[in-house]
Amino acid sequence: MTRSLNRVMTWGVRPPWLQVARRIVRNPPALFGLVVVIGVVLVALLAPVLAPYPYDKQNLDAAAQPPSAAHWLGTDALGRDMFSRIIWGARSAVFVIVMVTLVGLALGVPLGAAAGYWGGWVDTLVMRLADVLFAFPGLLFVFFVAATIKPGIEAWARAMGWRDLAQSGYLSYGVVILSLGIVGWAGLARLVRAQVLTVKEREFVIAAHALGVPTGRVITRHILPNALAPIIIALSMGMGDIALSEGYLSFMGIGLQPPAPSWGNILAESAGRYWRAFPQMVWLVWIPGAILAAVVFAFNFLGDGLNEALNPEI
Amino acid sequence: MATLLEVKELRTEFHTQDGVVHAVNGVSFTLDEGETLGLVGESGCGKSVSMLSVMRLIPMPPGKIVSGQVLFQGRDLLRVDDEEIRSVRGNKIAMVFQDPMTSLNPVLTINTQISEALELHQGMTKEQARKRSIELLQMVGIPEAERRVDDYPHQFSGGMRQRAMIAMALSCSPQLLIADEPTTALDVTIQAQIIDIVKRLKRELGMAVVWITHDLGVIAGIADRINVMYAGFIVESAHVKEIFANPLHPYTLGLLGSIPRLDAALKSKLTPIEGLPPDLIALPKGCPFYDRCHYRTERCENENPPLELGAVRHSVACWNWQDVRKLRKH
Repeated sequence: MTRSLNRVMTWGVRPPWLQVARRIVRNPPALFGLVVVIGVVLVALLAPVLAPYPYDKQNLDAAAQPPSAAHWLGTDALGRDMFSRIIWGARSAVFVIVMVTLVGLALGVPLGAAAGYWGGWVDTLVMRLADVLFAFPGLLFVFFVAATIKPGIEAWARAMGWRDLAQSGYLSYGVVILSLGIVGWAGLARLVRAQVLTVKEREFVIAAHALGVPTGRVITRHILPNALAPIIIALSMGMGDIALSEGYLSFMGIGLQPPAPSWGNILAESAGRYWRAFPQMVWLVWIPGAILAAVVFAFNFLGDGLNEALNPEI
Repeated sequence: MATLLEVKELRTEFHTQDGVVHAVNGVSFTLDEGETLGLVGESGCGKSVSMLSVMRLIPMPPGKIVSGQVLFQGRDLLRVDDEEIRSVRGNKIAMVFQDPMTSLNPVLTINTQISEALELHQGMTKEQARKRSIELLQMVGIPEAERRVDDYPHQFSGGMRQRAMIAMALSCSPQLLIADEPTTALDVTIQAQIIDIVKRLKRELGMAVVWITHDLGVIAGIADRINVMYAGFIVESAHVKEIFANPLHPYTLGLLGSIPRLDAALKSKLTPIEGLPPDLIALPKGCPFYDRCHYRTERCENENPPLELGAVRHSVACWNWQDVRKLRKH
């Protein structure tokens, strides 16, 4: 009797991740977000296969061409295939999003957890630092940091003997990732701190201490997993912001530098001198702009969907 | 029997915005190996805080263990380093908490939670710990333990969760189990089962138990000795039969008067203790029970009575316990 009753009771229980997945799929905006995000990630991973040309292959004989069978979106002033550059731009965007998120996690989670758990001067120090970061208008501060650390990173590369790298423009990935990461951890730290503050008072944390679990392990195994849902939601929302910020930085010329492909620097090129010379190629402004907008919306919809899926009672 | 735990003059305070809360005010008691001690009193009288202080689980700040000694097997737990207290917690002294709904971690499986102490203190591998977890669950009477060990707490009922908590606490065969109102959140039939489990395991494992409760009915069947606490003081301490047969402190008398008895006359009313316990921020200089006491005298207002021997192995903190014995109504 007990046996069959137990069967019945656990029969209808699906694994939690499956329940979340179902709620996402049944929520149209979240599903749109998920599809776009997966699409962009796939394009990023398969860029070498999908793109008909290398993103940096110049062909001055075929410069500034309108769309054709060979170049679906035409070519830029240096004869680079725009369709390929936009595909490779997905890889840049995804790489920057992932790396900035990792930097944010690496800084925000330990600092926020320490501030929330120990309180006192640790809390004061971390939170005042976060306040300083919040006191500046976000993107302005990123510009400031990017402009400040760029010469330093280039000098460091030269000192290491990587002259080619220092001049190539690829170091700009490091500049973008570090500047967005340095500014971006504060929001996550605040969130983690608030979560730790509430979870650490719960009885199972005292119970863990009563079992003799060391403090570090209490934080990582007992407290943080209980704060996972809001962190996941915040990260998802934040990824859209990161994509947009990378676009801004690259558009302003302090982000990713050509030949590194970025929707932001493609926009800048297309909307600048080049567009004045070839105003008929307006799609080179529209397409990267529309893709960037879609990605930002996608991450926000997905974040909203996750919020509803992970907190179904609200 | 050898002394397992000796608490001397333990004082714990909480520093809050409103002032200093004197939660435990010089509590002393001893516990022998294998003995069961009942710690009784109403909410906020310092039962839990005194035992949490013994394990150094008071959140500091705002809490502070101001003074005292906690001698466990001869070592003062209040003065050993963090590493050493961790090796005692869960290993030699274990604790079961009041609410099984909140004292299990919702995101970890039962197996993970029981195994944790085994891996930490006994150096078991994951497989060994899992095997032992299943045995422990069987010991506390969870059916189909091999399968249920991988469940999450939300798949367990309240009584099963409290059994799992007990399995966790007993995983390393502690010498002392502190049970902080482990049956309060459960319904009566489950309460009886939990009490039976603890009694049986206590007999089998030979451990000492401190059972914290506000329910004298629960404690009567388990405890060897009872400490009655009030406003952070121990006001009476005696063998369980002695407490019920011959209460000397007016507060104990009040507690006994406020529980229903099967042998009471029909339609007789329960007599509640009038009033409220004193504000722990501003304790009176005299007896803390003064305001609510039917036996109070002038001396009680100005001098706090110490815990003194009133009868054989029976201590009481009351200036007028001899009058109480003469005047009490049953």
